[in-house]
Amino acid sequence: MRVSLATHGGLAAPITSRRPPRILDTERMPPAAAGQLRRLVAAVLAEGGGTRRSGRGGDAMTYTITVDDDGRSATITGSDTTMSAAFGALLSLIERQTG
Amino acid sequence: MISCITPPFILDRLLDSDNEAIRQAALATLLTTARLRGQREVRGLISGALATAADGRRSIFDCENGTFLPFATFVRAEDDEPVADRSANQAFDGLGVTRSFYRDVFGRNSIDGRGMRLQGFVHRGRRYNNAFWDGQQMVFGDGDGEVFADFTGSLDVIAHELGHGVTEHTAKLEYRFQPGALNESLSDVAGSMVKQWHLGQTADQADWLIGADIFTPSIDADALRSMKAPGKAFNNKLFGQDPQPDHMERYVELPDTDEGDNGGVHVNSGIPNKAFYLVATIIGGNSWEAPGVIWYESMRASAETTDFQAFADTTFSKAGELYGAGSSQQQAVQTAWDEVGIRVGVSPTLGRR
Ligand SMILES: [Zn+2]
Repeated sequence: MRVSLATHGGLAAPITSRRPPRILDTERMPPAAAGQLRRLVAAVLAEGGGTRRSGRGGDAMTYTITVDDDGRSATITGSDTTMSAAFGALLSLIERQTG
Repeated sequence: MISCITPPFILDRLLDSDNEAIRQAALATLLTTARLRGQREVRGLISGALATAADGRRSIFDCENGTFLPFATFVRAEDDEPVADRSANQAFDGLGVTRSFYRDVFGRNSIDGRGMRLQGFVHRGRRYNNAFWDGQQMVFGDGDGEVFADFTGSLDVIAHELGHGVTEHTAKLEYRFQPGALNESLSDVAGSMVKQWHLGQTADQADWLIGADIFTPSIDADALRSMKAPGKAFNNKLFGQDPQPDHMERYVELPDTDEGDNGGVHVNSGIPNKAFYLVATIIGGNSWEAPGVIWYESMRASAETTDFQAFADTTFSKAGELYGAGSSQQQAVQTAWDEVGIRVGVSPTLGRR
């Protein structure tokens, strides 16, 4: 399974949107972390694939996580102001595993 | 009637209640009592209660690199001494300066004008390159350590985020296209004024930069944005050139999407930013005096869909109301908007470009 995280918006929107996406591949991860990634992806997909933009607040970043697994593809979206606990956990895991 | 049976000292204590509904009820009761009896001492009691340091009390939380705010740990309250964590103290101090600015300069009691608590969350996420206002609290990342440093290290960034809260409780400008860019600009104006007020700088002494302190020393950039010279805050190989326009002729049309920054709200804010800089330098002296008052009153008179032209028109009429029609302040407002390509104070029959 390959997971790609693209980040947009925020206080420094013109700069951060030019930064490359973070990419994870379960084949290149320790088995325990790979298993955790699969479980969190499944949990967020079970919630309906994240949330859309809330329109509230200021400078919130938005996240687009693309999951490619065995020829199937899914997109999960979330924002700083609307994320669920499961989405937050998935985001934290991707951030931790990519630096 | 409650006011007949509740002694003033109990009402006074209720004004300090943690429960918003109880505070409002106590205040309403005191106001009613004062109005009915015209008692000077009761009015004094009310104004004393309103002016206490209890208003806009600060709480700082540590996210410990998490992204889900309810899991954060409480680290410092209003009456606490500084803690070991530098970010927590910087957020605490920055929110305090901004709170004092709104109180002393505009007579505004915290974000909502009614003493709303100020909650700051630090160490949000891992290598998180952002700070934001989520409708209730201000949240700060540590930066990735390569491009960005700790976002609590910049007073104008802290004031920018608190400014989003003030806008949400006044104009409520929607966060897309021109109203969104105006929303962004009002936060940059707040950030600059708070920084200049704190440093005691006049308009011509100030750097007019937003986020000059959030880049790591290895990054070749002056700041995130320049209100004095939009489009010139940075130009380097790593992330290119500052895309902000400084004139309507260079307005950047972007889609209302995540990738398009909701129609370029952090891009086109350069136009009203430049207008405020010009008003402040033409009038001269302190930006938070006449220029700040004109902008603040115009924000309060704006609404969800106010665009650049409508806001410019409002600043022109507010300048006339506050300082007189044809005053030097009103002329400065007209000249400033004209220099960024927005005409104000012209008769509709003469046409508008
Ligand atoms: Zn902002």
